Amino acid sequence: MTGIFGALDVSASALTASRTQMSVTAENLANAQTTRTAEGGPYRRKSVVLESAEVGARFGDALDGAMRRGGIEPEGVQVGGIVEHDAPPRLVHDPGHPDANADGYVEMPAVDSVTEMVDLIAASRAYEANVTAMQTAKQMFTRSLDLLR
Amino acid sequence: MTGVSQGRDAAQVHGGIATRGPLPVSLIDPTQSALERAIQGASMRQQLLAGNLANVNTPGYGRRDVDFHGALREAMQTGDPTRAAFVATTETASVSADGNGIDLDREAAELAKNALDQQALVTVARARVDMMVTAITGQG
Repeated sequence: MTGIFGALDVSASALTASRTQMSVTAENLANAQTTRTAEGGPYRRKSVVLESAEVGARFGDALDGAMRRGGIEPEGVQVGGIVEHDAPPRLVHDPGHPDANADGYVEMPAVDSVTEMVDLIAASRAYEANVTAMQTAKQMFTRSLDLLR
Repeated sequence: MTGVSQGRDAAQVHGGIATRGPLPVSLIDPTQSALERAIQGASMRQQLLAGNLANVNTPGYGRRDVDFHGALREAMQTGDPTRAAFVATTETASVSADGNGIDLDREAAELAKNALDQQALVTVARARVDMMVTAITGQG
């Protein structure tokens, strides 16, 4: 029984990860023109580092481990961290800008909106695929339950 | 049911006891056990395929799968399908520059196939249970 619930947990971990990816991408797009940050200087592009991880151990796992032959540890995914890129800022000539330097250049964040959109689509596709996997797992579980009717 | 197919109306020795008439039909025969084990295998495979889809963007992740039909086939040859050992395998081949081995389309197809596989197994198991119920109650 933990089998199908395990599959749901795995897919759920992926939904969380994709959602985090989408939030970070949205943050990058929102701050594409931000020249002031708490750390000083322009906003720096962030990205999510994904790593595979076993989904949370539960009560059923001990029983399951004792009963099953041929162990299977399904791997979910988790956000390993959110890293800031240290790409040099884009220099834009705008002498009227309050943050312009002596030569009239403003340091703008190194955020490329096309790259962000591509990341957003990739995260969105992954999200959709995992929702489908979840629906399939649910159907399989319901079908197994039909054996009892 | 193997008991029925082997049933003969002659005196036979079964389990050390001489019986007359057809062999006793066991309620859970090897075929039913095999179906049950295969359904377990399908749910294990579902977990691994879900894991593959979850890691579609994880660098260096290798595709995982389990050949539960193969393991079951081997176990059936020994006569005890419940002993089938399902072992997950990890592929090292990668399809993208970051070392990730997951092809989204392939995983989606495998997921759909596995679900149909499980549906077929459950349907057959269900039909066999229904036949048994018919035999026991005398009505369908």
